Amino acid sequence: MKNLITADHAVAIGAKLCRVEVVPAFPITPQTLIIEHIADFVNDGELDAKFLTMESEHSVMSAAAAASAAGARVFTATSSQGLAFMHEMLYATAPLRLPIVMPNASRTLGGPPGIWCEYNDSMGARDSGWLQLYVEDNQEALDMVIQSFRIAEDKRVLLPVMPCLDGFVLTHTVEPVDVPQQEEIDSFLPPYEPDIILDPDRPAMIGTFMPAEYIMELRRQTAGAVESSKEVIQEINSEFAKRFGRDYGGLIDTYRMDDADIALITMGTVTSTSREVVDELRQKGEKVGLIKLRFFRPFPSLELKKAVSKSKLSALGVFDRSISYHGGGQVYNEVRSALFGMTIPVIDHLAGLGGRDVTEEQIMKMFELTRKAAKGEKVNEINWHDTRGETV
Amino acid sequence: MYEVRFHGRGGQGAVMAAQTLAEAAVNEGNYAVAFPFFGAERRGAPVLAFTRIDSKKIFSKTQVYNPDCAVVLDDSLLDTIDVVSGLKPEGIAVINSKERPEDIDLGKIIDTATVDAISIALEILKAPITNTAILGAFAKATGVVKIESLEESIKRKFGEKLGEKTGERNALAARTAYEKTIIGKSRGIKKLEARKQWLPTYQEMPVGGSLIEGKTNAGLIGPGSFIENKVSGWATYRPLRDREKCVMCLLCWFYCPEGTIHRISNKGDLMTNYDYCKGCGVCANECPVDAIKMVRARV
Repeated sequence: MKNLITADHAVAIGAKLCRVEVVPAFPITPQTLIIEHIADFVNDGELDAKFLTMESEHSVMSAAAAASAAGARVFTATSSQGLAFMHEMLYATAPLRLPIVMPNASRTLGGPPGIWCEYNDSMGARDSGWLQLYVEDNQEALDMVIQSFRIAEDKRVLLPVMPCLDGFVLTHTVEPVDVPQQEEIDSFLPPYEPDIILDPDRPAMIGTFMPAEYIMELRRQTAGAVESSKEVIQEINSEFAKRFGRDYGGLIDTYRMDDADIALITMGTVTSTSREVVDELRQKGEKVGLIKLRFFRPFPSLELKKAVSKSKLSALGVFDRSISYHGGGQVYNEVRSALFGMTIPVIDHLAGLGGRDVTEEQIMKMFELTRKAAKGEKVNEINWHDTRGETV
Repeated sequence: MYEVRFHGRGGQGAVMAAQTLAEAAVNEGNYAVAFPFFGAERRGAPVLAFTRIDSKKIFSKTQVYNPDCAVVLDDSLLDTIDVVSGLKPEGIAVINSKERPEDIDLGKIIDTATVDAISIALEILKAPITNTAILGAFAKATGVVKIESLEESIKRKFGEKLGEKTGERNALAARTAYEKTIIGKSRGIKKLEARKQWLPTYQEMPVGGSLIEGKTNAGLIGPGSFIENKVSGWATYRPLRDREKCVMCLLCWFYCPEGTIHRISNKGDLMTNYDYCKGCGVCANECPVDAIKMVRARV
């Protein structure tokens, strides 16, 4: 059944379909609709969950961690300053292997305060051990909440997952979304059954003090779980595709890459717009392709390398919606690191910071500059698009 | 470079001793560093502190594994810790003990100095804090710093923190120990077993480090495993309660940081489990009717 709904609404429906049991919440624009919809579901008896209104995001993540450690399937959502406020607790949840799912409505992290889409909020959490993915439309937003619980609760993973959806561009935009039936989800996502939980009848220690004799091994274990999530993500993508007919490609997705000689790497909704631009350039005879980076954590280094070498690319452009303040954006630096040893030029395209609209013209320009780099012409390594005072 | 490892218990001042020694060495024109190593510890638990002394800048920031001298502030540690582990063959152990060196079994025959620092501390400082006295023994046994330099840095360091008089008393404790130190050789009969510790590989470690009650070759793990951690050996004093004076207000039961005081149901009486009493004296301090006296546990 197709519903014309916002991504926030789609995400809330996804949580309901996953029969989440505890939802600690604190509202923040542009995530608020998610929480409001969940509150409605619980109030109307459509969702049998404990809905907790907390006094801060730090408390939200504390409650989420505790509920997850007690064996509940836990869902919450946040954005920007809220995510920053729960930063400490993010680090407390991943190494303890608590499979919480928390969509982040991507929003600029102030200062200066802003409410529109930028990835500098979630990028700050990239080293917390949370898996992180970026969706391009409302359907993917819903589907990835469902897949996220499967990934998070897989015994090979057991890590929290953060699906990121572009603030306003998705969160407040209605588009048709196919909502799966409850029975379909029930057979896809079994109940969460952890081995060790906080239970007075069977005492357990979770998250207690740990001296140096153990933490190194715990870090290694967490790193291993992040690494094995790659395999799990691919498996679950395939199973989901089989059952629901929507194949997202797993860690990355590619578009018209078969004979492409240059390509752009994108995340989030810019991927969606870029599909149109690729089609337009293809019509003009330009061999351009698109690589959609779906998961930023785990970072699909091997898959990217394969995609780049398979198409025999002669240059690669990277789209970044946040800056690391040492030059380029976070994606650019990860991509360069992943492609180390390959000799093609890789250039960075910073655009859409603070929620500035990323237009088709800007994306055209990204391809144009990448083409120049492919031809060996002099191009800036870091390109600030649509930025007054900068020439690209 | 001269390296010293201090073995003490939390609260005995091993860290202050390491720093004071470093200060004395620096005042003599050397370069020195001092640093502690704390585990997940509390007052009374074994702690380590280190001092490195050299004539030039010291760059190493690691712990000391092959000390020239092992200083032991509390001889109850000898039963459970191999205090001379890694000690250089020509190194020396300096031990707070009533015994003479030849009566102390360190598992190897090695240069050893002893002094009854606890009696000196109780007499001069009126507290079982042995760090300054043992420094006096260190000066006598090693000659690495002069006793005068130690007295100076003790007066300054302790005086600054605890008042001039206390500084002087601590310097006197060091000087007294310096004069009473006996130097000889230890015995080397006992075989100290390495402390068993559960050290899982990252694959063996339960997911997320979460533990339920469990048993390993190295003992219990998880909830309740602390039952194996008996601390009676830590205590210099232990509490004795006078039942006649006790008004059963339960303040001692409430304040005991180790939970060693138990209410005997229906009898209106209390019992202290000395296995887990580290002799901190909080109960005696809190008792409003002076029913609890602290008495020497080790003589």
